[in-house]
Amino acid sequence: MDALPLNANDLFGYYALGEKAVTIVFGDRIDPAIPPKIRFVENLLKHAPFPGLLTTVAAYTTLCIQYDPFVLKSAYDIGAQSTAEWIFDHISILMQQQPSQTEFMTDVLSIPVCYGGEYGPDLEHVAAHTGLSASEIIKRHTSTTYLIYMMGFLPGFPYLGGLDPSLATPRKTTPQQKVPAGSVGIAGAQTGIYPLESPGGWQLIGRTPLPLFDPEQASPILLRSGQEIRFEAMDHSHFDAYRQDCYGNKTS
Amino acid sequence: MAIKLLKAGPFSSIQDLGRLDYLSFGVPKAGAMDTLSVRIANEALRNAAQAAVIELTYAQAEIEILSDMLLAYAGQGAVLANGKIPLPANRPLALVKGTRLKLIPDGMGCRTYLATTGGWDVPIAMGSRSTYLQAKIGGINGRLLQNGDILCATAWTTEHQSFFTQLQQSNRSFPLWYIGSGRNLTTPDIPVIRVVRGPEADWFSTESWHKFLSSAFEVDRNSNRMGYILEGHDIQRINKAELLSTAVLPGTIQIPGNGRPVLLMADCQTTGGYPRIAQVAAIDLPLCGQLKPGDQIYFQEISTKEAEVLYLDEQYYFQKIRRAIDLRYYTK
Repeated sequence: MDALPLNANDLFGYYALGEKAVTIVFGDRIDPAIPPKIRFVENLLKHAPFPGLLTTVAAYTTLCIQYDPFVLKSAYDIGAQSTAEWIFDHISILMQQQPSQTEFMTDVLSIPVCYGGEYGPDLEHVAAHTGLSASEIIKRHTSTTYLIYMMGFLPGFPYLGGLDPSLATPRKTTPQQKVPAGSVGIAGAQTGIYPLESPGGWQLIGRTPLPLFDPEQASPILLRSGQEIRFEAMDHSHFDAYRQDCYGNKTS
Repeated sequence: MAIKLLKAGPFSSIQDLGRLDYLSFGVPKAGAMDTLSVRIANEALRNAAQAAVIELTYAQAEIEILSDMLLAYAGQGAVLANGKIPLPANRPLALVKGTRLKLIPDGMGCRTYLATTGGWDVPIAMGSRSTYLQAKIGGINGRLLQNGDILCATAWTTEHQSFFTQLQQSNRSFPLWYIGSGRNLTTPDIPVIRVVRGPEADWFSTESWHKFLSSAFEVDRNSNRMGYILEGHDIQRINKAELLSTAVLPGTIQIPGNGRPVLLMADCQTTGGYPRIAQVAAIDLPLCGQLKPGDQIYFQEISTKEAEVLYLDEQYYFQKIRRAIDLRYYTK
């Protein structure tokens, strides 16, 4: 593995993932300071792509950069450097030229959730497991600000940090075949939202009418890593009307 | 310029080279499994690299040509036939209205790619035409192709027309030139897939690494476009650390807790938490896209540098091919 110690800023090091991807490492543990930094570098590259840049994949502590070495090497003579090394140096220089800023962090996004009942069939199970009442669970789940550490698992699925540890509940032993889109669940010490219908083993405590994934929109995905969200309890009777508003008169 | 799928066959879908813009949002790349064959079929028609093709699995599809048009196909495991006459792969085919084509099984492999002028005309969904079933996006309404589907070519220029006429006048419906794939799957030998060490390769003992490189692995029947479960030798970890979810790519080989390697393919998730023992070299990933349950493979280690040289050589090859084909289209 050709990881290197680092000279610049917040970059820990890098490693190659095959000959067409390099992963930049920002740290070695989950840290709320990292996702905004990753997003910062991702934006830098988006606005000033190097020749051959294909795409980036952000995760907890890493940004994987996929590139075409043929295009890169056709554009630049990189000498004896490996392409991975060249890209790492390139990013280090880009970062030094840019004043580090987190200006893009917008307000905390509020996600309305109908807790319990048909929308959160496992709320009672979580209550039994934690020894808390349903209303106490809702209170604790809605009183924290969650940071989106990364997106993954499903299109538009956020990995959230910040769940009150007292709400931790193991996932189901047998995954459910169909978890409806918008379901808010708890799995171990994590909480998350299913952006689309899929199989899943999380304990479902509620559901949001907010579309997290809508390919018809100019911005098809509501959430992104580095962003902060809060959950807000919503009356069950408002679910359908809210959903209608979000989707307009679309027939889907 | 259109075709009708009289029989779509199993798992047929519209694909291109994949959806790259939303990986950081958890949207898989998708795209064709055998991107080399896609490239050959598209180059034969001088299409853009991202032109959409039809990915046909196994050899059950039947197609009716609804208007005079140019097609090209490439892949493994089937030949396209006009009635009983097999048509050659890896080159343009001038087909007249009313022709009925069908795939006939032929040798190893299981995916055939059908290209047409400008690509097949379906809407772009989130930056790509690739069908991704789980999110119901790409292709025709995010679904597999069905019997009766009609698909149209995106482009038909005067150049296409004159090339079509030229082929018709030669009493053949195809030229004698073709694009070589450099691939030889006709031998009964087990294919050797070249890999580079993965970021967590040192989480495994030297013995496990050697077993990984010396064992024949069989593609399990629970394998699909997301990835292949490989049966052969279970790989045990020595480092039991917990890996924080991080990027994985098509071609990444992960070792889950049961020790059975998983080779990730086109529809794989964007991130994963299992140690990545190896990454398939880009030059050999398309070949993996031709594997089906029961097929066997060996892995061979090469350096990142060697993998890059192989990749660069392939790009130079296609650069030359493109110039050569340009000449053949323009010369009367």
